[in-house]
Amino acid sequence: MDFIFKNKRISGILTILPKKAVKFEDEMANYSFSPAKCMKLKLAMGYNEHRIAEPGQCSSDFCKFGLQYLFDNNMLKKDEIDALLFVSQSPDYYMPPTSNIIHGHFGLKQDCLCLDINQGCAGFEVGLIEACLLLEQPAVNKVVLMNADVLSPKVSDQDRNSKPLVGDAAAITIIEKCDIENVIHANIKMDGSGALVLNIPAGGFRMPCTPETAIMEQDALGNFRSKNNLVMQGDDVFNFVQREVPPMIEHLFEQSGVGRDEVDWYMFHQPNKFMLSKLADKLGIPHEKMPANIVENFGNASGVTVPTCISYNLGDQLVKGSMMLCLAGFGVGLTWSSIMMKIGNLMFNQIIEF
Amino acid sequence: MEELKEKLEELMEVENLDLNAKFSDYEEWDSLTSLSVLALLDSDYGMSMSHKDVLAFDSIGGFCEYVNSHKTK
Repeated sequence: MDFIFKNKRISGILTILPKKAVKFEDEMANYSFSPAKCMKLKLAMGYNEHRIAEPGQCSSDFCKFGLQYLFDNNMLKKDEIDALLFVSQSPDYYMPPTSNIIHGHFGLKQDCLCLDINQGCAGFEVGLIEACLLLEQPAVNKVVLMNADVLSPKVSDQDRNSKPLVGDAAAITIIEKCDIENVIHANIKMDGSGALVLNIPAGGFRMPCTPETAIMEQDALGNFRSKNNLVMQGDDVFNFVQREVPPMIEHLFEQSGVGRDEVDWYMFHQPNKFMLSKLADKLGIPHEKMPANIVENFGNASGVTVPTCISYNLGDQLVKGSMMLCLAGFGVGLTWSSIMMKIGNLMFNQIIEF
Repeated sequence: MEELKEKLEELMEVENLDLNAKFSDYEEWDSLTSLSVLALLDSDYGMSMSHKDVLAFDSIGGFCEYVNSHKTK
């Protein structure tokens, strides 16, 4: 499904990372892999260090910290916020929506739409599309998009499939109306037949957490996890990404009329170095135009990786100038989405620690 | 056939791969090697398989024959 938006822009991106950094080497002993094989895994996937929230820190806490920072530094005013989107798979409660909790925490105005969106790896793109749809309304002038996930507590320490790459983080992106046309092309596709390829089996209404769901079991590859843990069918995810993402990006080139050489940066979701390198090869994109350094430095925090990649790799360059970016997210759902847009002259584009 | 065998030997860091053996007979075989084989199938042969599919072959030779008769590039 294709979308086109006009007269809308991103005006700021703030990424909030946990202070605590954990080294791959310090977790190696938990995996049923020899040290030599672990080092091969590290090299191939680009594992090194990932940021992990402290016990008790929820994804909403990172959002609150970031918003407070923006209010304190006059980068955002409370009464300007017409919609507050919280895109996450780690809400505070089943009810109420976490966006309402944050709304209440800051005493935001009543004329404000709070909306929680359950999305993962494509969460930044889904959030941007939703923000742009809302901005079509006369009453909505500024949307605050919060992408946040603290999923590390849900990943088994003995799962070398997911543990070395998981990261916790949040990002706050401001999207608003603007006078210049600034055409944004976006597309999104879904395939619910693969919905359980990335899954936390227990803890919802379908399978509540019980002592039985907490029992650790070994899988065919030697990983231990319980039904309370996140599970990823790595091979299915790899095949899905290689099958669906390249045609999606080719379609985005056609849809937007922006050629592959006119794109300054390809800011893709960051599953691991291996997958991104295969994607760049398949798309015929120079590796240096597709940064793959988020997993090795901070970990993969699902929908937060794209804003983190933008804040970390471009920083002030997007405050001083503007660039053509091709954004893409793919994963949980299964969902895959990409956006071609000019981003620049931002009020802020930075990383802070909480 | 010979080309695929050489690529597998490179991936698994094994010399003279025994075509009558199974992948799982080699101690070099693990989830990372398996993923590299899936990536090779995708990039060089235009094919998509799961870890399970690869392990289901009775022999590496059988796997190679299957790939050669089903490849799309």
